[in-house]
Amino acid sequence: MTSKRKSWQTTLLYVFIVVLCVIILYPYFVMFITALKDKKEMYEIGHILPEVWRWSNFSDIWTAAPVLKYLTNSMVIAGGATLLAILCGIPAAYALARMRFKGKGIFMGAVIMSQMFSPVVLLVGIYRMMVNINLNDTILGLILLNAAFNQAFAIWLLRGTFMGISPEMEQAAKIDGCGTVKALIKVLLPMAAPGIITTLIFVFINAWNEYTIALTLISTDVFKPITVGINVFYGFNFIQWQYLFATSLFATIPVVVLFLAIEKHLVAGLTSGGVKG
Amino acid sequence: MKKKTLAMIQPYVWLLPSVILMVSMILIPIVSVFKISFSDVGRSGIVRGLNGVQNYLDIFAEPTFWHTLQNTVIWTVVVVGVSTVFGFVLAMVLNQEFKGRKFVRAVVIFPWATALIIQSVIWKYIINADYGSLNILLKKIGLIDGFVNWTKTAGSMFGWECWVGIFVTFPFVTFCVLSGLQSIDGSLYESASVDGASFWQKLFKITLPLVAPSLTVSTVLNIIYVFNSFPIVWTISKGAPADQTHTLVTYLYQLSFTDGKGGHAAAVSVIGFVILAFCASIYMILSLRGEEES
Repeated sequence: MTSKRKSWQTTLLYVFIVVLCVIILYPYFVMFITALKDKKEMYEIGHILPEVWRWSNFSDIWTAAPVLKYLTNSMVIAGGATLLAILCGIPAAYALARMRFKGKGIFMGAVIMSQMFSPVVLLVGIYRMMVNINLNDTILGLILLNAAFNQAFAIWLLRGTFMGISPEMEQAAKIDGCGTVKALIKVLLPMAAPGIITTLIFVFINAWNEYTIALTLISTDVFKPITVGINVFYGFNFIQWQYLFATSLFATIPVVVLFLAIEKHLVAGLTSGGVKG
Repeated sequence: MKKKTLAMIQPYVWLLPSVILMVSMILIPIVSVFKISFSDVGRSGIVRGLNGVQNYLDIFAEPTFWHTLQNTVIWTVVVVGVSTVFGFVLAMVLNQEFKGRKFVRAVVIFPWATALIIQSVIWKYIINADYGSLNILLKKIGLIDGFVNWTKTAGSMFGWECWVGIFVTFPFVTFCVLSGLQSIDGSLYESASVDGASFWQKLFKITLPLVAPSLTVSTVLNIIYVFNSFPIVWTISKGAPADQTHTLVTYLYQLSFTDGKGGHAAAVSVIGFVILAFCASIYMILSLRGEEES
């Protein structure tokens, strides 16, 4: 390969990369500069950048709407769902990774199948059930639903993690007199910590970003998570774009940071836990 | 003897919390949706008893349903198809050594990590005809003279929705393929080069077969996600104009929660459910087969 050809390829590569990054970051750029514009500038069409940089938008949103309440709700919903999903998921994943029993194949099949049950397709049934058990319009209802719809992923990721760890250490612990539960907690879980953290963060992000169930079930303002709450800036005729985007930034940045932290582990877990052959 | 029975039921005890959670929150709604789809439901949501397949017949007689079904197929095939091809190419690029690779990988994470509803709202603002930032930008650069109405027709509206769908879907493919690419032994390529293999031969004979498992996972999961994706279409068009840009999930949402036709909505749910069950069973067979082999 001649060096001339190489430099030509490198140039092409960089052109592609730069164009791609510009396109991907464009919506975030728009979100950021619009969040900094003054209300009056919103419908003026002459400028890309704000004429006056309204940093105060970021402090105004907290009084313009109960944004702090929405964020707290999101935190409680996502945190609760994550905790519940992991507490139910660890024993199930452990049984699937370490034990032999009848019906294991059927259960694993059911777990995989449940990945396809998007709550949206079941919304009519979910709504009716939640009304019947008086959990519609409650944060507890959202915690239970988010935990359930993330069970499949949690079990799958955790099972992959457990299977990657040799059972010898636990067996040694059992010979030393530990019960199964104690061996799990003292020996396996610390070794599986990276996989568990990845699972935690992934379920948390899913629940944090969830929109459709919350939109359907929650009608009381003070119970809304942030994804539904931002709709207050989004009236039919009058949209307060600057507040909408300022709030959206607060809802987006933490999640992107978390995602960057687990990216490597997550993809490895997804593909190794999924189709292998 | 007692100890033996205890050991026999132990695995089921470990599964129990998970089973309770999934049965109560997933299985019961599934049963409920099926039951409602065969019931006569009043506007207020009261079930007046079974009415056989009447809901299905009503839905099948509705031109909007067939149009929606067609849209859903286009939406799923276009978004998943383009995302898969582009995501794959990008993974090949990102698998090479170059300055700034880490930065680009981080940037590609962004659309994946952002809530769909927020991504949808931003794009709705960008393409707005009266004050959208795309018009402002293009006018500043000098590519357009006056403001363009980007979503004049149902087709263009739906096209933009597909664009946003692709935008949020391809990163997942890229990262799945990247994880597959990184596990390929580099010496395979070296010996192929020694044997005089071309770029395309290496692509089809080495790369594609070895990343096929990762591509299968990402494609099947994306089909499920994209088929079920609600916020993009609901935020950008709500099915407008004239119910021409619905997909099954926005259509059933509108039937149930705007039009008060719970029975019809349940019938549409069941139809979507059957289509997905078909896709998922393919995935399940592939997964379990992979399990047995390993």
